[in-house]
Amino acid sequence: MNKDIPQEIQRFDLSARIQHIIMFSTFLILSFTGWGLKYAYVQPSSAWIHIWGGPKIAGIIHRVAGILMLLDFIYHQFYLLNLARKRDLRLTIIPMPKDVVDMVHNFMYFLGLRKEEPYFGKFTYLQKFDYWAVYWGMFIIGTSGFFLAFPVTVSALFPTWTLAWAWDVLFIMHSDEALLAIVFILIIHFYNEHLRSEYFPMNWLWLTGKMPIDQFKHHHPAEYDYLYGKGAEKKK
Amino acid sequence: MRFRLKILFMMLFACLLAATAGAATDAATCLSCHGSMDGAAGVNKDKYEKSVHGSFDCVTCHMAPKGDQHTGLTGAPPDKVVKEFAAALAPKGLKDPLAAAACVGCHPDKVEEYKGSIHGQNVIVKKSTDGPVCTSCHGIPHYIEKRPSMASKVYLFNIVETCGKCHEEKHIIEKYKFSPLVMERYKESFHGRKLKLGHAGAPSCASCHGAHDIKSTKDASSPVGSVENKKKTCSKCHSGAMEKFVAAITHKPLHPVAHFAEIALIILTVGTFMFIITHVLLDIFADIRKRLFRKGGDHHE
Repeated sequence: MNKDIPQEIQRFDLSARIQHIIMFSTFLILSFTGWGLKYAYVQPSSAWIHIWGGPKIAGIIHRVAGILMLLDFIYHQFYLLNLARKRDLRLTIIPMPKDVVDMVHNFMYFLGLRKEEPYFGKFTYLQKFDYWAVYWGMFIIGTSGFFLAFPVTVSALFPTWTLAWAWDVLFIMHSDEALLAIVFILIIHFYNEHLRSEYFPMNWLWLTGKMPIDQFKHHHPAEYDYLYGKGAEKKK
Repeated sequence: MRFRLKILFMMLFACLLAATAGAATDAATCLSCHGSMDGAAGVNKDKYEKSVHGSFDCVTCHMAPKGDQHTGLTGAPPDKVVKEFAAALAPKGLKDPLAAAACVGCHPDKVEEYKGSIHGQNVIVKKSTDGPVCTSCHGIPHYIEKRPSMASKVYLFNIVETCGKCHEEKHIIEKYKFSPLVMERYKESFHGRKLKLGHAGAPSCASCHGAHDIKSTKDASSPVGSVENKKKTCSKCHSGAMEKFVAAITHKPLHPVAHFAEIALIILTVGTFMFIITHVLLDIFADIRKRLFRKGGDHHE
């Protein structure tokens, strides 16, 4: 075994952790304030929205949080560019054909058709899904939210033939995809990072950025082998 | 038998009053009987006194109550304006047309607006029983409250329900060729949702369509009857509203494009939901299995 193997491995640097904190705080605020409007006719919507300072204040909070999230997202793109500039950016988050294989293997493992867990890389297919879901969300929910926030200005940009349905489509996009995002986070993310027996009550990685090497080797064996295993010397 | 006794007693009482006090016609006199009655003739004293007209004598509006029991209990004879308005409201077949028309005595400007409105025209010119009179929107006349009160039927947050009494009725929608689902489409809009949550800046029906002088949207003089008027109306809140912007609100049913976009997104959402639920459940199952049967067996150090 290689003697250079550390006890813990750095998964996320400080900037990434702060980006994540801003992302989830704004996400929660947006979900809470938006929920009241989406389900305005389901009681106790009025009481709920009054916790957020009433409909007017809740609307302002929602807009400010939306802009913060957008800025966080834009910042992330510069963060990636900077990593690329420092030649520190590996394309490990890009979905690959191997992810399909991993998923099939994972389901086979779930069903007892395979003894081994999948040979996951730095990011599993679910983590990649989680990551790109933010892009999908920013595109669908962010764009529609921005349009809905400035209806007069945006009207000028829309072609006349779209006006009969554009606003309804924007509203549906915003509210349905937000629900999808909430449900996704609540189920996949909460299960994997909070409720999973080995992490409960939470995976402290979001604060430390580090993962114990055993856990790392178990959950990301392909990445472990890439860094410390057979042939690791050659790649370096 | 009891009813007859009651009538008899009332008549005696009325005669007694008429004979003795030279016909006292303050509210207390009327309420001594009507205050304890049930049904349409009953008046709740407390609620009446709390109402905006609570200091009025009953005969201010009920100028000539019918029946012998009311002998001597009349107010000032109705003037020409009230009589005319009462005659105009005749198609509604109201129990006391003079009382229903009495509003004009103090609110002539509102009544004048009403007469020119689509609501007024429907009653007065088309002689329809569908059209509303003052009390249809303002509620039971004895308990009318000032508009900023939650109890007012025309309070900002109650108007939608008040309009909906007729405008949500299927036969009314069909008869007058409104946009089907007109109220529903308003309610699910941002305007409707915000109003529901108590946003004081959100528009109710009357904010855009007007109130006493309400016109059909097909009428060019309606605040939403023409593109020019719509621009003015919308820009009360959305400064710079132009032609393309004011096209946004029609209260029409969902356009097919939006309808299918909604279905597509619902399929996507439900599909993703099913997938992740399955995934998590299988994951939990595998996790439990591992802990039960392969404890400690997966670390190869």
